[in-house]
Amino acid sequence: MKLLKAFCILAVIATLQSHAASTSAVLKPAVNPTTTTFLGYWVGMFKPDNDIVGISAGEHDAWDFENKITISIDEISNDQVKGHSVVAGNYRPFIGKMINEGKSFHFLVKEPGDDKYDGIFDFYITGNLLTGTWKANNKIRIPKRNYSLEKKIFRYNPDIRLTESNQYVNWVKNKKVSPNDPHYRSDYDISYFTTTRDLYKYNASVSILTKEQVSNLKKADLFILRNSIYARHGYSFKNQQLRAYFDREPWYIPVSTDVKNAFTAIEKKNIEILMRYEKNAKEYYDVFGRG
Amino acid sequence: MDATKSLYLTKAGYLVWYAALLWFSYLMLLITLQYVPIRTDVAFLRIKEDVVGLLHYRIAFFAHVYTGMFVLMTGMLQFPVYIRNSFPSLHRWCGRVYAYLIIIVTGPAGLIMGIYGNGGLVSRSAFCILAVLWVIFTYKGVTAAINRNITVHRIWMYRSYALTLSAISLRLWKWVIVLLLQPRPMDVYHVVSWLGWVGNLLIAELYIYYRISKRKAFINALSLTKA
Repeated sequence: MKLLKAFCILAVIATLQSHAASTSAVLKPAVNPTTTTFLGYWVGMFKPDNDIVGISAGEHDAWDFENKITISIDEISNDQVKGHSVVAGNYRPFIGKMINEGKSFHFLVKEPGDDKYDGIFDFYITGNLLTGTWKANNKIRIPKRNYSLEKKIFRYNPDIRLTESNQYVNWVKNKKVSPNDPHYRSDYDISYFTTTRDLYKYNASVSILTKEQVSNLKKADLFILRNSIYARHGYSFKNQQLRAYFDREPWYIPVSTDVKNAFTAIEKKNIEILMRYEKNAKEYYDVFGRG
Repeated sequence: MDATKSLYLTKAGYLVWYAALLWFSYLMLLITLQYVPIRTDVAFLRIKEDVVGLLHYRIAFFAHVYTGMFVLMTGMLQFPVYIRNSFPSLHRWCGRVYAYLIIIVTGPAGLIMGIYGNGGLVSRSAFCILAVLWVIFTYKGVTAAINRNITVHRIWMYRSYALTLSAISLRLWKWVIVLLLQPRPMDVYHVVSWLGWVGNLLIAELYIYYRISKRKAFINALSLTKA
């Protein structure tokens, strides 16, 4: 009887143990199908968490200090996460931990800390959405940001066209028209350095631009035609005005800070001619001179 | 009293006119200096990459650019009465430099540049006609001077210098139009390639009509009454 009792206890322990073993196997990320779907690009707006007065130009809100960000989760092993973020022309790696909280997965990852703008990402992946905050290590103008990102696949497509309702505004070059009062939004006269309808006539990634075509384009159109090549390749812009413009394009995903090697022969040729005419427009368009 | 007043006004007018000419000549000098030493990858030549490889275009371009200043300056010295009366030999020598540079060097060079001009047929025809008229007007002025026909010499030289000044007026029109309207660059170029010299020629014709023809009529009337 004692022997039987001991056998029963052993059997129960054995079953419990095997059960425990199988549960831990399910929890292991390497074999969990949901965590592999976390890998890849999460794209959306990186928004200031504090109140900050945006910039408006003409009838448009030119920029409200939001930048499009791509958070790329590159590797998950056990609870260790490796990845990087691309935002505002800044490519920063991060490492950290992932915690399974049942309904969602909690990520706490850190940037290396050797850059002025490094900080800590704290986000959750719930279903198809990555939401969270970012806190800067240093005292910077916007110390905290929040974001709600969607999973996206980046694929270079030369045929992408620019959205026609979207207008590029250079608020540095354009004249400021509102009184310099911090309680009001800065407003800019958009008549001078802005894109025109001519921009939509050409696609600089698809066909070689001729001298006749580029010689009658204004500077902003030349500038955006050239930079749209960069945007199609997923270039993350350091220039605020370019960022504000391309961030509004639904197809635009910033994935890299160096895309020079990805240009096609057509694009290289077009960049060369566009730059030449941009330089000419910059130096000669509004001065006493010929061209 | 009225006569001295108008004399002062005329003098002040001349002063402003020559000050403006000198100022714009200085700006032209700055444009010229962009091409010293000879470079084919700067300024205007940056948007002439399709023809800058042609030797005859390069010769024409640099001949035009380097002689332009001398034509502008020697031409300017021809108008003040003081120089004409006190230093007649200076007037003759500057006249020779002005006329021969236009007829032999920079006029033909301008024609070659016009043939390869930017802006298609619209601008090319404007620049070619300008170059041809420039040489013809200057030549007419020279022959009139050789024949000692001073009135005719003055008339043709006014027309010649009006076209010489198109170097300045074209660039000035461009600046004004861009400032006011901000049009597309090639649209501006089409406009100023014509406006730059046709406007000057109209002003010259008006000047000739009122200053010379009217005076001639006055002198004729005077001689008629005497007779």
